[in-house]
Amino acid sequence: MHIFKNLRRSTLLRSGVAALALAAVSAGSAQAATTLVETGSSLLYPLFNIWVPDFTAANPGIQVTTTSTGSGAGIAQSMKGLVQIGASDAYLSDSIVAKNPNMLSIPLAISAQSINYNLPGMAGKHLKLSGPILADIYMGKITMWNDPAIKAINPGVALPAHVIVPIHRVDGSGDTFIFSQYLDKSTPAWHTALGYGTTISWPAVQGGLGANGNPGMVSASASNPYSIAYIGVSFKAQIDKAGLGTAELKNADGKFVLPTTETVSAAANSLATDTPVDERISLVFAKGPEAYPIINYEYAIINASQPDATTAKAIQTFLTWALTTGNDPKYVSQVNFLPLPPAVVELSKSQIARIQ
Amino acid sequence: MKLKPFRLSVLGLSLLIPAALCAVVLFLAIYSAQAVSFNGIDFISGITWDLGNLYGDPVTVRGAQVPPGASYGILVFIVGTLLSSFIAILIAVPLSVGAAIFLAEAVPAKIRPVLSLLVELVAVVPSVVFGLWGIAVLIPLIAKYIGPGLSAMLGFIPFFAGGNAGGGYGLLATSMVLALMITPIIATTLLDALLQVPKENRESAFALGATHFEVVSKAMMPMVRTTLVGGIVLALGRALGETMAVLMVSGGAINILPQNIFSPVSTIASFIVSQLDSAEQDPTNMAVRSLAEIALVLFIITLVVNAGAKLLSSGVLNVRNSKQ
Repeated sequence: MHIFKNLRRSTLLRSGVAALALAAVSAGSAQAATTLVETGSSLLYPLFNIWVPDFTAANPGIQVTTTSTGSGAGIAQSMKGLVQIGASDAYLSDSIVAKNPNMLSIPLAISAQSINYNLPGMAGKHLKLSGPILADIYMGKITMWNDPAIKAINPGVALPAHVIVPIHRVDGSGDTFIFSQYLDKSTPAWHTALGYGTTISWPAVQGGLGANGNPGMVSASASNPYSIAYIGVSFKAQIDKAGLGTAELKNADGKFVLPTTETVSAAANSLATDTPVDERISLVFAKGPEAYPIINYEYAIINASQPDATTAKAIQTFLTWALTTGNDPKYVSQVNFLPLPPAVVELSKSQIARIQ
Repeated sequence: MKLKPFRLSVLGLSLLIPAALCAVVLFLAIYSAQAVSFNGIDFISGITWDLGNLYGDPVTVRGAQVPPGASYGILVFIVGTLLSSFIAILIAVPLSVGAAIFLAEAVPAKIRPVLSLLVELVAVVPSVVFGLWGIAVLIPLIAKYIGPGLSAMLGFIPFFAGGNAGGGYGLLATSMVLALMITPIIATTLLDALLQVPKENRESAFALGATHFEVVSKAMMPMVRTTLVGGIVLALGRALGETMAVLMVSGGAINILPQNIFSPVSTIASFIVSQLDSAEQDPTNMAVRSLAEIALVLFIITLVVNAGAKLLSSGVLNVRNSKQ
């Protein structure tokens, strides 16, 4: 008590209090600003950065800080309450939801992934590939580009007699998650041996390679002729610049499709009505002749029970904005994402209403 | 008596560092205890690292809750760490000894500070910059020239045969980037020591008719051997723990041991960083605990290397003292 009295008298403290008060006044115009912290997926990070200036302009009372860490960090930190918004390329697992029933997975946009290859002399041509062939390549069962299985679905294409260099992500990644889901759903052997996840225990393939992040995937496949890689479509510009080919992938209906706005929308629409109330669903290997097989929801991972009403309200305001104004193609197409189908927006809104 | 408060505060401050070290070790040991008992000795000798199906329901294996299919073996990363650091030292030591002797003996005293500053500057370049340089410059160079050249010249040795698996990414690229990072550490410590060698030693060697080479190799180098070992230990510490640059150029091997100098590898430090994000999604926490166990292994490796080098250098010191 004595010390406290002394401190109160100190001029240093008084000036400190004055400075704090000033800072508080200058930060918010009418009321004090609520700060939301977002962290997680590096794939969603650019979209948040496009969103935030326009959102803050419309809602001056809410500040949003964005950081790019990784989907796993987004999930973990949101669960621990360290951040208000966790960004993730993958939805929460059943066991996490069972342990933490308050954790929500709310889709914000749709992303897709392309399968790219560096085949000298094949620039501009689209090779046809299927889930089972990709699975065999990554399991080391198909090792040559001119393997009979690849030849069979690419008649007339002069495939080189060269060893395939399969490149995978070394870091935990939503891209690994959806790529392995495609292999898991299309290839029983992959399903039994490896399954899916943000990290895969990659089979030992002689000459196989790991790369760090999507930029690392692009540069590793650019510098490795005869390589194959899976890369998020946000990196389309870099993929094209590196001169990589994009594969036509076999979908659930047996058709070969390229990742375009139409095929990604077709896949998203075919699963929109199947999306459950908690919106945890894989969009990979959707049915429909036009559906592109490797797409996913990009999620906000939110704790439905927030410490105070102001924060809960701010989160609701931000997410609602992201799903309406923020889902405009003028925002999402900048990072090659697609808006959510209307039915899914409604599901997300009812999940947002749970936040309190 | 007047000094007492000062002494006490200095004592407190000096205890902070060992206390922090103990806290880190204690944390790692406690946090990884469950993983240590789950993994057993297979942890060190196994080559399969599998986080298991993080989306499946956890199962009970050997008394612990883990994701189905989980298996943690880190031999691949131990081998990658030791090999890459060892080769980096092999490349860096002759380079830095040459550089230090050049700076100490062949450069006019007026220019020396400028040149040694340049060498020191290499030591402060952030490692991510080395990684970028590795991807942009070194890796194409290895894929096109260094790799084929090495296997053409030394292909009769199995370790160098096999062309360029990984198109430049791998053990060689990792070791070369590490070597570049640690060369200035060894060179500057050695340079400082060479400049400390008493003038009399040099001059008397010259007076006895020794050539310049003999003066350096017989009169000066023996005096700085301890410092050289010290510098190598410092450098090895950096190489063993380097993360970012290695992650960018190593080719990220998993479940496969390196076959030759061009094979992709993973080091312990870079592997921890690459796995942490997925490990955090493990509802049973065993993945993160196993990563903590890897950190513990890295700590022990660094400790053993340091202690070994200390022993070695004190041995060298004794030899030198007895000769004098």
